[in-house]
Amino acid sequence: MNASGAPSDAEVVARVLSGDREAFGVVIRRYEPGLLRYAARMLGSRDAAADAVAEGFVRAYRHLASCREPARLRTWLYRIVANRCKSHLARRPRAEVSLDEAPPVADPGDNEAAVELAEQVALVERALLTLSPEKREAFVLKHVEGMSYEEMAAATGERIPTLKMRVHRAREALLQALEDYR
Amino acid sequence: MSTIDPRIHQALDGEIPLATLPPELRRQAELLEAAAALLAAAPAAESVAGRVMAALDHPARRSRLVRWLVTPRAVVLRMRPVWSLALAAGVLLVALLPLREPPSIAAVGEEEGIAQFVARFPGARSVAVVGSFNDWRAGSIALEDRDHDGVWRGVVVLPAGTHEYMFVVDGERWVADPLAGRYVADDFGRENSLLIVRPVKL
Repeated sequence: MNASGAPSDAEVVARVLSGDREAFGVVIRRYEPGLLRYAARMLGSRDAAADAVAEGFVRAYRHLASCREPARLRTWLYRIVANRCKSHLARRPRAEVSLDEAPPVADPGDNEAAVELAEQVALVERALLTLSPEKREAFVLKHVEGMSYEEMAAATGERIPTLKMRVHRAREALLQALEDYR
Repeated sequence: MSTIDPRIHQALDGEIPLATLPPELRRQAELLEAAAALLAAAPAAESVAGRVMAALDHPARRSRLVRWLVTPRAVVLRMRPVWSLALAAGVLLVALLPLREPPSIAAVGEEEGIAQFVARFPGARSVAVVGSFNDWRAGSIALEDRDHDGVWRGVVVLPAGTHEYMFVVDGERWVADPLAGRYVADDFGRENSLLIVRPVKL
């Protein structure tokens, strides 16, 4: 039990492994938002992201007994979903990666601020999709999901110096793309 | 792609305060931070909780069949005393037959084959095989070390095809088969052993 009274990841994992399948719902509720956000940024498509995350959760459930450090469940889940995303990217034509999600179309009922925000999001999403999958992953884990380099290493299986270099290159490419769009 | 001032990286990595950057560098760092904030705030896809829990309710039919076949289950027989004597004689006869015979060829289906697992784990209390054929559930295929020489063996009938597997030692240590010869990376940063089961020709 943590400070907020919610069961810890290790406690939830133990409950699931003891046969309480419904406890896996706690895992889903706890990590689904971040995983969907991460997968959507990686795949450029909310539908593909939902597929990748759903597949990832099912695989995680079936292999939960092999999660060696339940206290680090979060990075373990990101690793599974990251691999699902790579499979999706490998399966689909390259051109589809950046064209799947059209920029949001402004609804006449939206106010001006909401329209501007939607345009900004679309601009950043387009810039992000110009990065290679490795740089995109590094930037999203670091700056969108707020992971430390140690957590990123656990989630990707890459070495910390490699990840730092990718984050640096991603920042440079993204800044260039954002400046070009302005 | 142009390189950017290393102080921007330092600031974004929390090594120096953002406020110490010159105005142009701070603008660039803040632009990247704003982009990340927009990505974090934008709505993601709708929840997949329903479809995940439904998938857990309805595992693949083949998986269920394999799990049913390999899961140990208790069977209770109720019979009259006279039949008990006959059954006891039958059990004694079976017990006298040689043990650890490989599965009979006749008992193996056309799309099945025989897999033999051998592994050396001196001092281990238990060794099991888990893999794609038993939903990675430990305990369902236990190996035996009858002569206590540290060599664990087991023979099972599996569907023909390629299977991934690992050994589980003492219920907690997952080990790839050093004799497998073929390996495949899994989703969890490890390598599973690869086993090819060929169908038995009747």
